[in-house]
Amino acid sequence: MIKIAQLSCGTEYSGVQAEIERAAETVGAKMVYPDVDMQKIDKAVEEFGFNPNSPQLKLMIARAIELANKNYDADAIFIATCFRCAEGALVRTELRKFVQEHVRLPVVTYSFTERTKAAQLLTRMEALVTIVERKELLARERQVGLTAGLDSGSSTTKAVIMRDNVIIGKYWLPTGDVYSSAETALTNALAEAGVKYEQLEGIGTTGYGRYTLGKKFNAKLVQEELTVNSKGAVWLAGKQKGEATIIDIGGMDNKAITVRDGIPDNFTMGGICAGASGRFLEMTAKRLKVEITELGALADQGDHGKVKMNSYCSVFGIQDLVTSLAAGNTLADVASAACHSVAEQIYEQQLQEIEVRRPIIQVGGTSLISGMVTAMEHTLGQRPIVPRDSQYIGAVGAALLASGLLG
Amino acid sequence: MDSNIETRLIFIAPTSDLTPDRIARFVHNLGNEVTVKETCYGVVLQGPRDAVKRTLDEVRKMDPNRIFSKIRAFPMGDLRRCRAHHGSRPGFAQLEKEWKDLCLVEQGLICVEKGEKPPAPKKRQKIPVNDLKKLIDEVSP
Amino acid sequence: MKIFIMPPNSLILFDLVERFGHEPLSLMKALRDRVTSNEIEAPPLNVTVDDVKLGLKYAGIEIPSGIRGRLAIYGPLIDQAEAAIFMEDAPYSFGCVGCQRTNELAKLLVRKRKVPILSLDYPSNEDEAKDMVVRVKEFLEGLK
Repeated sequence: MIKIAQLSCGTEYSGVQAEIERAAETVGAKMVYPDVDMQKIDKAVEEFGFNPNSPQLKLMIARAIELANKNYDADAIFIATCFRCAEGALVRTELRKFVQEHVRLPVVTYSFTERTKAAQLLTRMEALVTIVERKELLARERQVGLTAGLDSGSSTTKAVIMRDNVIIGKYWLPTGDVYSSAETALTNALAEAGVKYEQLEGIGTTGYGRYTLGKKFNAKLVQEELTVNSKGAVWLAGKQKGEATIIDIGGMDNKAITVRDGIPDNFTMGGICAGASGRFLEMTAKRLKVEITELGALADQGDHGKVKMNSYCSVFGIQDLVTSLAAGNTLADVASAACHSVAEQIYEQQLQEIEVRRPIIQVGGTSLISGMVTAMEHTLGQRPIVPRDSQYIGAVGAALLASGLLG
Repeated sequence: MDSNIETRLIFIAPTSDLTPDRIARFVHNLGNEVTVKETCYGVVLQGPRDAVKRTLDEVRKMDPNRIFSKIRAFPMGDLRRCRAHHGSRPGFAQLEKEWKDLCLVEQGLICVEKGEKPPAPKKRQKIPVNDLKKLIDEVSP
Repeated sequence: MKIFIMPPNSLILFDLVERFGHEPLSLMKALRDRVTSNEIEAPPLNVTVDDVKLGLKYAGIEIPSGIRGRLAIYGPLIDQAEAAIFMEDAPYSFGCVGCQRTNELAKLLVRKRKVPILSLDYPSNEDEAKDMVVRVKEFLEGLK
């Protein structure tokens, strides 16, 4: 049983403790709580160097020190505090940095509300378990044989066919019905590859619809998108060795993942609000009456500085967009501002929860919107690498990892 | 669970000669409908509220200023609060510290018993700025 | 009389209040009803999403869920308080009393009720302890 050490404040009083434990159990893990002697608490706070007012946060620190000093055995770490608690956020962030300096365990941080449910935590917990249990599989750098990868995302469904470490067929379409979208994607990818379904040696599935597709296609690999996308991203970018940060702006949530040799060691996933995701860019394109594929080039011609756009909420964001158009701003300026607003949110939310390591690899469908990449460049001070076929990371990762499970 | 059932923790101050085992045997001999279990710091009682209260009153008489008690939310042996499963209970460290300080409270109870009025303890206060200036001048004239 | 104690799970305060003939409004009793309920929706404490919403009576929606959840448990105790004893700087108060923001807010809510309040410091030596016990006794006797 995988042991996930919980360092948290407020979970029991927000009614989410049971949800956390349920999510862990579902993926075959168990939450554990490093036991700390009273005498050690003050000393731990002193060693850590930040003395919070709230005692529960002091206990959180003492528990982290037990892990850092290897007095307590765990396989992964889950750090969580209440959403909107400043003191909690400070401790959460600094503790995450602290434990990462001391132990090589995968870490995930989360800020919860009373509405947090097991389903939202599932992908994160599953990723922690995968990283621990499938270390060898995740270390695989080459795809072998003939395999397919299916990525059933909230906005789009992608399929990739790979043979001996080369992509020979690919296809994507907007997600409708999970199964029929995947079937269409797979059929078209197979046609491009010039191979028949029966010839496939294995299929890997990932994304929101991974379980449904896994059953339907009798997949060899059914795995969450955090580890699969990381693998796909470093393979496509040719950055399998060393460190990197992967930014994946998805249709409904944004992911920021740090990897070491292609294996994630820290990740965050937007959870509270879908306001600053790919969906906002879709809404912007619709309002500006341009195709989403044209939005990036349009944004690149604009000046985001001319338009003030609320980056916290897509509804208010669109309201600002309408107002700024009415005030006579150009479509290009508004498109640029929309991209910058999303980039700003990634910076303010996801990238504060992880240590940004170079190089930065930007992937997912939104990485094809050049204005979005420019906006990330302006925000981070360095242009992210956007590998070829960057929208296929999930499908590529799934095809590659599935090939590691061939008999 | 019947809402009339109470779970109560009894603590023996560190200065007392009583042992959890002696209290447990004493409670058994009382014959009230109360379950008793020894702990590191005393015993846990569980049973109908009145019976627990009667038992507590009797136990207290064994060493009035060194026996302390409070009620407990979780029933005896509840796995949700088992140290083996969840690490120590959140309230455990505070209890441990308060238990250690029961010998201080005991001194207070003796005062009350004797009707003494102890002098108000001196509070640490910040030094007035003029006094501080004098001190600085003395150290580095 | 019903005395709200702070920290609401303190052994020393619970014991003294009861010893001197009053009823401590304890967190343990409030939690007892939850954890022994027939319907455990949100173990271990059975503080549910609905409870956290009830906490809105005491703190607004912009307040973190952990604060509202804690107040959902001991807010109703504050509502019953006829007097209160606050012990400041109590050591190692985790769990229910682990959030200092909640603790400060709870004290404010008691103060707003305009009931008699005794404020003490957690004793660190014999003299302070003697003073504390005597003051608690005098305060409680004065309420009768």
